[in-house]
Amino acid sequence: MKQYIRKADIILFIVLVLTGLAVSAALSFSHADAGADAKVVIESGGELYATYPLSEDRTVEVPAYGNKGSNTVTIENGEVCVSEATCKNQVCVHHGSISRGGESIVCLPNRLIVRIEAGGSEEGGGYDSVTS
Amino acid sequence: MTQSPRKSSAQFVARVALLASLALIFSYIEAIIPYNPGIPGIKLGVANIVTVIALYRYGWKEAACVSVIRIVIAGLLFNGVFGMLYSLAGAVLSLLGMIGLKKTGLFSVTGVSMAAGVLHNLGQLLVAAALIEDLRIFFYFPVLLFSGIAAGIFVGITSQMILRVLR
Repeated sequence: MKQYIRKADIILFIVLVLTGLAVSAALSFSHADAGADAKVVIESGGELYATYPLSEDRTVEVPAYGNKGSNTVTIENGEVCVSEATCKNQVCVHHGSISRGGESIVCLPNRLIVRIEAGGSEEGGGYDSVTS
Repeated sequence: MTQSPRKSSAQFVARVALLASLALIFSYIEAIIPYNPGIPGIKLGVANIVTVIALYRYGWKEAACVSVIRIVIAGLLFNGVFGMLYSLAGAVLSLLGMIGLKKTGLFSVTGVSMAAGVLHNLGQLLVAAALIEDLRIFFYFPVLLFSGIAAGIFVGITSQMILRVLR
């Protein structure tokens, strides 16, 4: 067994796990509740494509950036999901729904980001207000 | 090594070609197994067993060549050019990490491979962040970190078992 796992391996393992836990804890705190006037922001190829209120149900077809294809973004009951996509891996579709401020769905092949920006008069969605 | 340079370079080419084709078969097997973890970038990386074995049994040059050749061909065959870009970034980072950690002599194959798994995912994430021009993608980081640890340990222990038989 000794040649499989050494002391340094265990230390490295613990360091990596602690890093992961720390990062995920930090990230879960930055997810604010979306609030009443939260917005759904859709970006394509790094540029803003459209912004919609989270409270209104609607379905939008977003053309893919650069190449052929599209993603269908559905806003329903305060939740957003990518219901259909032309991309090969369908990761964005399997991602499911998001509803909290700061959460996002990413489709890499089509270079699409759908994210929720928390509303409210105070700081907004944490760091979202810094970048905007 | 008492071989002439010519002979050893032929040996090098043959070795790398053999290992690269083996790795490619592993990539293929992994590509046809239908399982969907739901999150991008989560893979066992069976083909990396070949890279780890190449590194430990032969050297870093062999490992680097095998890894790059495998990724380019697998990218053209099954993963697409974008997939290739992610994998290459991951491979470069993880190769550097593996070579560095192996040099310290403190870590077993498992530890080196575990670090490589994490670095591989980190490299992919960096490319993804650059392509999509949004750092928010780092939300995936914890998931990719843990999956990298798990995949790396699997690859490391398997490689160690194979290396023991080869010796």
